[in-house]
Amino acid sequence: MKGWTGNILRIDLTKKTFRIDHFTEEFAQKWIGGRGFALKILWDELKPGVDPLGPDNKFLVVQGPISGVPMPNSGKTIVAAKSPLTGTYGDGNLGTHVTIQMRKAGYDILIFEGKAAAPTYVCIQDDQVEFLPAEHLWGKGTYEAQAWLEQKYGKTAGILSIGQAGENLIRYAVVRSMEGRAGGRPGIGAVMGSKNLKAIVVKGTKEIPLADPAAMKARGVGDLKKVGAMDKSSKWSVQGTNAVLSWCNEMWALPVRNMRKSHSDEAWKLDGQRTSDARVATYGCPHCTMRCGIAIHDQEGHESEIDYENVGMLGPNLEIFDMKQMASLNYMCDDFGMDTISGGSALSFYADAIDHGATTGDFKFGDAERAKQLLRMAALREGVVGNLLADGSLRMAREFGHGSESYAIQCKGLDLSAYNCKYVPGQALAFGTSAIGAHHKEAWIITYELKNSERGAYGRDKAQKVVDLQRIRSSIFESLPICRFPWIELGWDLKNYPEYFNLATGSNWTLEDFTNTGDRIYALLKAFWARENPQTTRVDDYPPRVYFDPANAEKEGPTAGKVLEVDKYDALLSHYYDIRGWDERGVPTRKTMEKVGLAEEAAELAQATQVT
Amino acid sequence: MKVRVVLIGHFIDRFGFKERELELPSPCQFRDVAAALKLRKIPHVAAKDGVGIRPSQLLADGDRVIIAPVFSGG
Repeated sequence: MKGWTGNILRIDLTKKTFRIDHFTEEFAQKWIGGRGFALKILWDELKPGVDPLGPDNKFLVVQGPISGVPMPNSGKTIVAAKSPLTGTYGDGNLGTHVTIQMRKAGYDILIFEGKAAAPTYVCIQDDQVEFLPAEHLWGKGTYEAQAWLEQKYGKTAGILSIGQAGENLIRYAVVRSMEGRAGGRPGIGAVMGSKNLKAIVVKGTKEIPLADPAAMKARGVGDLKKVGAMDKSSKWSVQGTNAVLSWCNEMWALPVRNMRKSHSDEAWKLDGQRTSDARVATYGCPHCTMRCGIAIHDQEGHESEIDYENVGMLGPNLEIFDMKQMASLNYMCDDFGMDTISGGSALSFYADAIDHGATTGDFKFGDAERAKQLLRMAALREGVVGNLLADGSLRMAREFGHGSESYAIQCKGLDLSAYNCKYVPGQALAFGTSAIGAHHKEAWIITYELKNSERGAYGRDKAQKVVDLQRIRSSIFESLPICRFPWIELGWDLKNYPEYFNLATGSNWTLEDFTNTGDRIYALLKAFWARENPQTTRVDDYPPRVYFDPANAEKEGPTAGKVLEVDKYDALLSHYYDIRGWDERGVPTRKTMEKVGLAEEAAELAQATQVT
Repeated sequence: MKVRVVLIGHFIDRFGFKERELELPSPCQFRDVAAALKLRKIPHVAAKDGVGIRPSQLLADGDRVIIAPVFSGG
């Protein structure tokens, strides 16, 4: 087999044992790598209903056939598990040296099973696996843990770690790497914590198996220069991802005040120009050509690496417009190892619930110092409020009652990224149908809605666009896996990815092969949800209910008086299901599953819920 | 007629200004603004009052037009 190592390192934390399993080329060609591998393994190996924070859940670290190869932005790794936040399959990608080191150590997949008796970190060096005590790291933030491990194993060692949020089973704890990268929004860090797994370290010395290494090297080196030059000439990296903040504000799509508002006259204080001007350092992932990690000093003097989602959710969404205070919240999330999006959303929901009388408390929008205290309480699960915040906005709403679930800004339990869709129907559909919960990485069509359609329209074309992007992102970017920025931000041609895949594996894939695999992956993602939620209905694919509430419409500005219309959204959802070949509940039909090569999985799903 | 142009994101660095008032002959379409800025070959998206506009969009004196790179959601 070329491209893939074919090796799965299966590590039993309970017994402190490991073994190397192998996957077949047929499996590889069917699922590509990354998300595809993780999804199929978790579908096969997890019993429905398994406790995400129990020892029977599995934590996976996964690569693909071009992972770690010198080519533009190939430093991404997938981390995956059953999510303690959503109760279904969850994953995330993050840039890390683990990508390169794991492939050099000879593995495409790490599977962590069971639970260590005491805090542990696992060090993998080629064929050796050590289970090492981590008591001295337990209770430490990710910056300190990373620094200690880097000191011991070197700057280029592959290191993934969790902070106190993961240790304390915060349901939106993330996995962290390289002092600035994070992945696994659906609580994958908490799954590590539930296994007493503080960190993993990977080092390898082998060659990555490639079908045509010479051609790959020549092409990769050339394209690294080419895409780097594209970034320079476009000046994309000057503001990085936070450039979009001003755009969202001008379009009235910014998250403000728990997304009650979509615009703020103060947003300029946090825009891409200001954060770029405040930059004290810039960071990127391995093999990066467009380094997006802009670090600024926070209120306490830490280097805080920000991007748009962090700024949006911890700034305007909390009505905090002081850049240093926003950066402090971001630094705290990173150090504790908690998702900035869900962290910001939990805080904004709490303030909103107090505002609307669903609960009592002393937190108000704009109160940065209190927000810091609350974030700390959440990460350490201190007190009733800390524990509520630690469980995320949906569970808080169910605890508070009084109709507050309608303004918990989430889908399937995962909080919306920093795009306010109360008058952006297509993007609302993208969040609603994202099978891992609301996540911008699955599909983002706001520009399409403005440029190629009408903003307030609910046409089938928008459903088609969401499906198209889910196909591409799920197969190419989540499963190779690789950073999507050169394609989406610089316009680097999509056809490059199948070409690299073919150089690595000796295959002859086209883009269509990828999108077909994307359909298979998305059908199994939704089947996973349905298997865990046998009573699922199409309402599970709706955006937050407050988006349909006329009382929540803007009172001024270009979108004044406008919100999503439930009947039209439902019709848009029907278009989506029709394109996908899913039934009216949003469950893939048997015919569709068979068409995409999931006949066995359809039979398994039928044991849990109705498959039409 | 006068049209106020607001640039977003890295267009500010690329074109060297954030906001500028353009004096253009009337009637004026957005394509005339794009031509004045030499934008035609650069992928972009434009909007007015929170709604996307196309090259043929007629503009009025005093309009404020937002021009951004083609963002794709990070």
